[in-house]
Amino acid sequence: MDADPVAEDVTGAPPVGVAIVDDHPVVIDGVRAWLAAEPRLRVLATGDDPDVVLGAAPEAEVILLDLRLHGRMVIDKLAELSSAGRRVVVYSEHTDPDTMLAALDAGAVAFLAKHEGREHCVATVLAAASDRPYVPPALAGAMVGDPRPDRPTLSDKEREALLLWFQSMSKASVARRMQISEHTVKQYVDRARIKYTRAGRPAATKAALLARAIEDGLVRPEEIGIYRSHAATDRPTP
Amino acid sequence: MPTELEAVPPGGGPLRTRRHRAPATSARTRGDRDPSATAGATRDAALPDPGGPAGWSDVPGDAAGAGGAATAVARASDRGARIAAVAIALAWHTAIGLPAVLSAWSGLAAPVVVAAGWAVTAAVGVTAAVRLLRGATPPARALTAVLLVVDAAVFAAAGERYLFTAANWVWGGLAWFFLLVLWRRPVGWLLALLGAHAVIALGAVLGSGTTTPADLTRYAMYVYGTSSLPVAVFAGAAAIAALARDRAGTAAAAGAVAAERVAGERAREDRRARLALVSGTAEEVLTALATGDADPADPEVRRRCVLAAARLRRLIAESDDVPDPLLHELRAAADLAERNGLPIDLIAIGVPPELPVQVRRRLADPLTAALAGARGWARLTVVAGPDEVAVSLVTPDHEGPDATGPPAAADGAGPVEQRHERDGEIRWTQTRWRRT
Repeated sequence: MDADPVAEDVTGAPPVGVAIVDDHPVVIDGVRAWLAAEPRLRVLATGDDPDVVLGAAPEAEVILLDLRLHGRMVIDKLAELSSAGRRVVVYSEHTDPDTMLAALDAGAVAFLAKHEGREHCVATVLAAASDRPYVPPALAGAMVGDPRPDRPTLSDKEREALLLWFQSMSKASVARRMQISEHTVKQYVDRARIKYTRAGRPAATKAALLARAIEDGLVRPEEIGIYRSHAATDRPTP
Repeated sequence: MPTELEAVPPGGGPLRTRRHRAPATSARTRGDRDPSATAGATRDAALPDPGGPAGWSDVPGDAAGAGGAATAVARASDRGARIAAVAIALAWHTAIGLPAVLSAWSGLAAPVVVAAGWAVTAAVGVTAAVRLLRGATPPARALTAVLLVVDAAVFAAAGERYLFTAANWVWGGLAWFFLLVLWRRPVGWLLALLGAHAVIALGAVLGSGTTTPADLTRYAMYVYGTSSLPVAVFAGAAAIAALARDRAGTAAAAGAVAAERVAGERAREDRRARLALVSGTAEEVLTALATGDADPADPEVRRRCVLAAARLRRLIAESDDVPDPLLHELRAAADLAERNGLPIDLIAIGVPPELPVQVRRRLADPLTAALAGARGWARLTVVAGPDEVAVSLVTPDHEGPDATGPPAAADGAGPVEQRHERDGEIRWTQTRWRRT
């Protein structure tokens, strides 16, 4: 499967500091082992309480957060961290579309299903560190099947790319099917994700994703205006 | 393989994940000419057969049972009231009206008019009775007009002497015919007609100069006496029919609830059975790993772990209480493949709309066929919206021959598109239905 780490602009830079919050030590150890094999990442702190973990490593750039801590969904904590500008990658075994979309609405930079594996995990964290979107297949499925009436308006190509990516988990196969390049497939998928920064309440992390997307030329500011809905208090785009 | 459940609409609700489903009921209005049956929106429940061997079965007989029987009760009670009303009207007309007219013949002001009115009314009564007993309603407007003309004519033709006697048969007997022609119409129409009847009578009373207080009192008594009983019968029949319809609706709803409970219980049992299977295999692997009997480096041990994990994931993903027929079919195919040792993920997003059996077949069959040739692992996904359903199977590519399903063809409910391709990396089978 072609997880596609955003490698080009972190080479030479110091490793990205990561904090892991999970209430299962075996999961923490597993994720730590995944990330340890990647020199561009360094795990700074782990634990089962977000406040304690961030107290120990306030400089962490990305937080991997298990959405369910001690039997409770921590969407509110996720929203709090996101509005404070913390880049949170949610990873959870709760992969029903409602939960995934709720996590995006609350400001999560990305959502990773626990079974999606090492490549997706590393790629997601690296992308998150640079405020870039990364859409693993499960999240693509949730977005393409979003039934909410106020969902962002996606173009036909964006929907098709999301659907095929969700189905096949192979951007090369999607590219062949759509007769476009893999790079373009990724662009369609990422553009769809950027449109979701306008769903739910505003958060600093969403603004950062949007700003970086405009900077990268992924979307144009005037395109964003089309689907502006209830994000009136959002930071103006640069 | 499961058989079809023919009629399980999703209730038309918004598409969410598969958690809260409308009951497995089809609420449809019967194409019946009888307004007493259509007014209540009869509900037919399509129930899954709790005793079937492999999931769903098609049981229209049982299905119609709950709603159908109650509807029959409602219809029977209304039919009884119709017969009673027809019998009263015609018996009154022949047993009381006719002898009185004949015995007073010579004293009537215009006996021929009175008799002709009687005959016209009898014809109206027979017409209405035939319609009523066939379960239809008489043409109210036309017959009402005829009856009012007869009413006025007979009042004028009876003469002062017989005004308050049975020979003026319209006063007492016509109200029953009003009842027949206005059957199943709003009770207000009957009251209005009886009002017109009273006004005609008052006109006749005043016109004949009988205006003493005693005459007017007698008039009031007559109006009350001739109107109250028909109104009571009319309202009573309407109330009984409404009550019966209500009970019919309640019975159908109870049937739907029972159906959903049975289906839900069935789904839970399936899930429990699979959980037992998964727990068994997972426990085995974990125990072997813990005791050191199994080596994590052994590919066979790893394959067993992957299989157990895939099963657990699928169990977790099944959040629907009453599975949709399409998902049910796909899940059954996935179960089968899994029993042959293939780790398979089945992910469903959205609730498929109600699809004709042929469409469902064309969506599912190519996938189940491809699944039979799958090696290594499989990813089966369903993305459903109100106007589109996309089903996909991805497995690693291998040297073996292609196993493709039957060719897709256009269909009345929207075309099902089928694609199958292999690129050396994956084999990808996709079926897609779009509402046209």
